[in-house]
Amino acid sequence: MSSKESILSRIRSHTGTRYEQPEITLDAIHYEDKTGQFSESLKAAGGAAVVLQAGEDINELIRKHFPDAKRIASNLSEITCATFDPDSVADPRELNNTDLAIVEGCFGVAENGAVWITQQVKHKALYFISTGLVILINKEDLVNNMHEAYQRVEGTDYKYGFFVSGPSKTADIEQALVFGAHGPMNVLVILR
Amino acid sequence: MKIGLFIPCYINAVYPEVGVASYKLLKHLGLDVDYPLDQTCCGQPMANAGFENESLKLALRMEDLFKQYDYVVGPSASCVAFVKENHPGILEKSGHVCLNSSKIYDICEFLHDVVKPEELPSVFPHKVSIHNSCHGVRELHLSSPSEMNIPYFSKLRDLLQLVKGIEILEPKRIDECCGFGGMFAVEEPEVSVCMGHDKVKDHMSTGAEYITGADSSCLMHMQGVIEREHLPIKTIHITQILAAGL
Amino acid sequence: MSTKHSIAAARFIANRKQEAWHDETLWMVRAKRDKMSHSLPEWERLRELACDIKMYSNSHLDTLLEEFEKNAIANGAIVHWAKDAKEHNEIVEKILQQHNAHTLIKSKSMLTEECGMNEYLFSKGYDIVESDLGERILQWMHLHPSHIVMPAIHIKRQEVGEMMERVLGTEKGNSDPTYLTHAVRKNMREKFLTADVAMTGANFAVASTGEIVVCTNEGNADMGTSFPKVHIATFGMEKIVPNQEALGVFTRLLARSGTGQPITTYTSHYRKPEDGGEFHLIIVDNGRSDILAKPDHIRTLNCIRCGECMNTCPVYRRTGGYSYTYFIPGPIGINLGMLKNPEEYSDNVSACSLCLSCSNVCPVKIDLGEQIYRWRQDLDKIGKASSEKKVMSGGMKFLMERPALFNTALKFAPLVNKLPRFMIYNGLNAWGKGRELPTFAKESFNDMWKKNKIQ
Repeated sequence: MSSKESILSRIRSHTGTRYEQPEITLDAIHYEDKTGQFSESLKAAGGAAVVLQAGEDINELIRKHFPDAKRIASNLSEITCATFDPDSVADPRELNNTDLAIVEGCFGVAENGAVWITQQVKHKALYFISTGLVILINKEDLVNNMHEAYQRVEGTDYKYGFFVSGPSKTADIEQALVFGAHGPMNVLVILR
Repeated sequence: MKIGLFIPCYINAVYPEVGVASYKLLKHLGLDVDYPLDQTCCGQPMANAGFENESLKLALRMEDLFKQYDYVVGPSASCVAFVKENHPGILEKSGHVCLNSSKIYDICEFLHDVVKPEELPSVFPHKVSIHNSCHGVRELHLSSPSEMNIPYFSKLRDLLQLVKGIEILEPKRIDECCGFGGMFAVEEPEVSVCMGHDKVKDHMSTGAEYITGADSSCLMHMQGVIEREHLPIKTIHITQILAAGL
Repeated sequence: MSTKHSIAAARFIANRKQEAWHDETLWMVRAKRDKMSHSLPEWERLRELACDIKMYSNSHLDTLLEEFEKNAIANGAIVHWAKDAKEHNEIVEKILQQHNAHTLIKSKSMLTEECGMNEYLFSKGYDIVESDLGERILQWMHLHPSHIVMPAIHIKRQEVGEMMERVLGTEKGNSDPTYLTHAVRKNMREKFLTADVAMTGANFAVASTGEIVVCTNEGNADMGTSFPKVHIATFGMEKIVPNQEALGVFTRLLARSGTGQPITTYTSHYRKPEDGGEFHLIIVDNGRSDILAKPDHIRTLNCIRCGECMNTCPVYRRTGGYSYTYFIPGPIGINLGMLKNPEEYSDNVSACSLCLSCSNVCPVKIDLGEQIYRWRQDLDKIGKASSEKKVMSGGMKFLMERPALFNTALKFAPLVNKLPRFMIYNGLNAWGKGRELPTFAKESFNDMWKKNKIQ
């Protein structure tokens, strides 16, 4: 008998009461001002959110926030400040020493400042390897909470998708919070 | 309503004045209260040590002693909680039904939920810090457990507010365990004493002169630490405050 | 009467500074959790839903795991089933062999700890690199985790600094956490880029989509899996949830409970292999199917490994993870240890004052404290009840069942008040180790009542 069969047979013979699947109903938190809450939540997580004003140039905005970035990666056509297209490199290791990556997100979550991103770049390393990360989302694409978030994710297909809320961090040394553990040290979300 | 007064073993042996205060308080409120003679123990120490089955005879005796009463009321949240939560299971294993569990109350519960006095003659012009004992909070719901997202309430505070001159305080870690835990106190004595010490210090940081609560077991453990370390705070059971002057 | 826990605990507490720091630091995490839980009016409802989802999932493991496997295979993943730790380790080894791999980079997984995977692979000549900062520090110091979420919580910055001077050549005397963390960032970057195979655990496995979810703050799982062509993800079978709707509930509870944040920085969903790569999933039993047969303890399978029960436990905070003999400490560890091997791990059962705070914080409503009480009742049956406790309990029973004897004892008890100190406070008196004995009343309540002294 294969291990699979052996495990399944043990499960079947040991399972007692079969509990019913619950209906997930609750009064989940929602916000009057989703944008404001999203910004606040992201700030608390060490990141920043900014709304692109009418007439404002997105590339100028990015340059303003990351004046020292030299090696800038983006495969988005609207990002003219990029110095190279990350999809053009054959090996993800070549993405090392990227100062800034600018990527597309799907939507933001107000309760925790997270953005849902499905992999739309050749190498997913791009999302983690750069020192700074800029995520672009449409300003109407904000949900209140994770229940609404997963409603939007449900039924969509992807190889890899993730929620990211702010910069990479750790508190493993004496609970002292440090940004930039292995992933980006700075995260900016632009709502446009 | 006929009330049977339940006096736990260590109240009998160490703090009979708590039993006296309880009796006086209930009498003052015009209640028909009686003490069925020669009570010993509810069985909790044995059960906490892991010998629940050794409490059977004691559970049966309690059923017998209190069968003629409408309510069983005692000045110990932890003993009452034990009877309520554990006696049914212990008795059921031997084919008995537990009647006490549905009619037993800690005296604070009883006063707050059943008697609901609007005033008390007691005067106690002192600062007291409420000790929210684990079984009282998490089994008898004498106050809102700090872990849960429910609106704050405290039956002990409500009762103490009837006392004139009193100032009511609570420690920072409002319902952290004092470390008594029954057998735990002697099985892990270093941890137990460390927890007791921390709890007393927390109560002291409120500026209180007295630590008060519904459980003499916790108070006894903290009193032991207070005396060993010569700390400037006293312990007193809540019934003694509520009955002050009676 | 001393259990291994009580002996180890006494040692930990003897270092007052360490104990106070450990207690205060973990209490802060509990306080952060409270701030989060109190800011969501629907918190208790979330806990209820989480518990119900887990009770459903864990009572339908056969159908859900088969659904998961079907969907994972359709996504292009390779699914393995491991009956026990040995099989798990052998599966991992085989994958490494097949790819001529030498270095494995892995993110945190208590399951691999449970299976002793690192030791096994080291013995076979493989190089395992832990990518989580806490785990990496422990790896360099040859220590095991003392907490399941904050594994190096017991280690002071000076110790980390000194170790990194030796291992990484960092500045002498510099123990600033930011400096040290960034030194590791630089060092680890090289490891991420050169590892042959990546391994992660999984916080959740979704039956309806065949994907797994990995939650980290560091992004180490994501960095690790971004370069090697092979990703192995391993998880205990109780990690299965029915669908993504369920994730909405769990992702709102996990980080709030475990670290006091609304969400971990990264909540990563791995569904399909990289182009030209392989995605291996290992479903592990290793005793979980046995727990299914124990209705009194089945709720331990709800556990989402948030660690909050440890943060709230007054005993864990004051004694640290190393005082427990099972690799997972605290309330959940006491219970899981007893489920694994009651004879071997019974010493941990004393590490509990039955305060029930753990049951109240648990996001999936495991009745942790109540289960520990039940394990205490079982100790005698498995021959592990201490003889001193048995004698004490038997003695009390004898006394309490005889009211006349009880009353007589109470009459003589006040004599103890007058005994010379050396007779009362000595090695035999565990109570007296840090406390004065209570003073026995001259007249018991029984006595006073009989003498009509109570009006």
